[in-house]
Amino acid sequence: MGEGMMKKERAMISPGELIDDRREAGIFRIHRAMYDDPHIFDLEMRHIFEGGWVFLGLECQAASAHDYFTVNIGRVPALVIRGGDGVLRGFVNSCPHKGARIAHAGCGHARQLICPYHSWSFDSSGRNKAIKWKSGGNYTPGFDADSHDLAALPAFGVYKGFVFGSVAPDVPPLMDWLGETAKLLDLIADQGEEGVELIPGAVTFTYEGNWKLQLENCSDNYHFTSAHPSYIRLLERRKAMEAASGTGFTSAMDSQRHWSGEDDEIVAGTFSFPHGHVLNFGIAQPSAASALFERSDWLEETVGAVRRDWMFNMRNMTLFPNLQVAENASSQLRVIEPISHNRTRMRTWCIGPKGESADARRQRIRQYEDFFNPSGMATPDDTVAYEDCQRGFAGKVSPWLQGYQRGMASRREGASPLAQGIGLKPDWSIEGNSRLCDETIYQSYYREWARRMAGALAE
Amino acid sequence: MSAVLTRSEAEDLLYREARALDERRFDDWLALYADDVIFWMPAWIDETTTTSDPDTQLSLIYYEGKQNLADRIWRLRSDLSNASEIPARVSHIVGNVIVERADAGEAVILSAFTAHHHDPRSDRTHVFFGHYRHVFRREGDVWLISAKTIILMNDCIPTVADLYML
Repeated sequence: MGEGMMKKERAMISPGELIDDRREAGIFRIHRAMYDDPHIFDLEMRHIFEGGWVFLGLECQAASAHDYFTVNIGRVPALVIRGGDGVLRGFVNSCPHKGARIAHAGCGHARQLICPYHSWSFDSSGRNKAIKWKSGGNYTPGFDADSHDLAALPAFGVYKGFVFGSVAPDVPPLMDWLGETAKLLDLIADQGEEGVELIPGAVTFTYEGNWKLQLENCSDNYHFTSAHPSYIRLLERRKAMEAASGTGFTSAMDSQRHWSGEDDEIVAGTFSFPHGHVLNFGIAQPSAASALFERSDWLEETVGAVRRDWMFNMRNMTLFPNLQVAENASSQLRVIEPISHNRTRMRTWCIGPKGESADARRQRIRQYEDFFNPSGMATPDDTVAYEDCQRGFAGKVSPWLQGYQRGMASRREGASPLAQGIGLKPDWSIEGNSRLCDETIYQSYYREWARRMAGALAE
Repeated sequence: MSAVLTRSEAEDLLYREARALDERRFDDWLALYADDVIFWMPAWIDETTTTSDPDTQLSLIYYEGKQNLADRIWRLRSDLSNASEIPARVSHIVGNVIVERADAGEAVILSAFTAHHHDPRSDRTHVFFGHYRHVFRREGDVWLISAKTIILMNDCIPTVADLYML
């Protein structure tokens, strides 16, 4: 569908025309228009990013009274600020007077927020404190009857330091929306006595492609040896040099073989949950290649051996639509910020347990920069591929993409043995050898997408 | 070669480094570095502050040792990196050179840079800009770079920022 054709057909479009989901026939295909149509993008912003829960940040970004950080919920600027009473709250970052953003920095500290345009002021709990020259303003009683406070986010909640909000009121309670994935957040947060933190220094990059390319890439076990052979070969070179000279550089992936394509036992898989949340994983052993290794014994005591081992597994988790936590070569928290149908901004941080040793922190940071940064040695090989996909999507001679069916024949309803080990109850599970590289994980994204967009596409 | 690095000599070294990157003479580029070089491009903490401690804060690039730079060059030439397969065309401009400190064995040189690049694959042109801080150390009869810090002002990176674009 070109843009012109899309306009003509707008009233006819339904999720079924973009998602060919015939489970019984073993078919799941996505239409290329899903990724390159401005009208669909606009509806996604309204019905997905501005129509339900999204991740906003970590509580540690506003640790003390009057600390704040700013984010985007779809196209809506939002403010998360801790009041003088110690309570964290979320607001639309927009003055009720003329709409200007009142907080401009990414993070800061303010007992009082003063709109720079006409000086209306608000306290850190969002209450209007003053309207400039109110008494001389000849306002009507009707004006006085209005609230002049900042608009609170209709839904706002925190789980183990992970902060979520919604600009739509009709959302399930946060814990219902998280569901089983709260146990996956536990596997991150419980790595530290006091949870995890963002390591100072944020890295932002853009790519000329649809946001769902990033959504899929994080869950993609299939691309690793194809897109990142230079990184894999470098790990081997460094290992050889380290053996020779005692110098060199490690990766947390040094202890992992789930991606190798060589192991025939069960080493990897995916779990799919309601609301479009997913996890893909690879089995790894606790090893000094991971910065977490110094906490291995303590973790075994506090969370038990099985959950401890899961913390060392490669785990890429997505909470649909905008949060991804990737624990593989190091540990990354990333937030997807769609800009347009063919442009996306990624905000990324290294995360680690609070209170880890200086050596472990250094190891974690070095491994992160090497792999995850857009100035590193892996991410650019992904983002350049996204851009090639985006250009390829224009070709709709054969419009249905085929990258969602790998693994479909080994799908298991409910929990697999590995999921049962940590009491996890996914909707479905796939486990397999290092060549299985399940792609049905993306089906969860698109079923949730269809659910949220149903009705919207006819607008 | 003077006993103490002069501004004119420092400019010559900076221009030669930039030219080696522009012309993809990466072996010549690596030859300008000391084995124990610290190559550092900090990230930004907020709108006005870069990270200042690579051990506790994130950097965009941080390498101790020339071998790590050699690894990056190996990757660029490996035919194993999708992002490096069609290289960007790059032109560095280095200026505003200041001799911050110059002793018999060592000199600290500050400069400003712009690095224009055109990526033929995406037909996209971009310019990275910021400041360099080079530490040159005398080894025998040459000055080698023992530390280089790149402060990248426009740190929202469009898809790729590799060593030769900075």
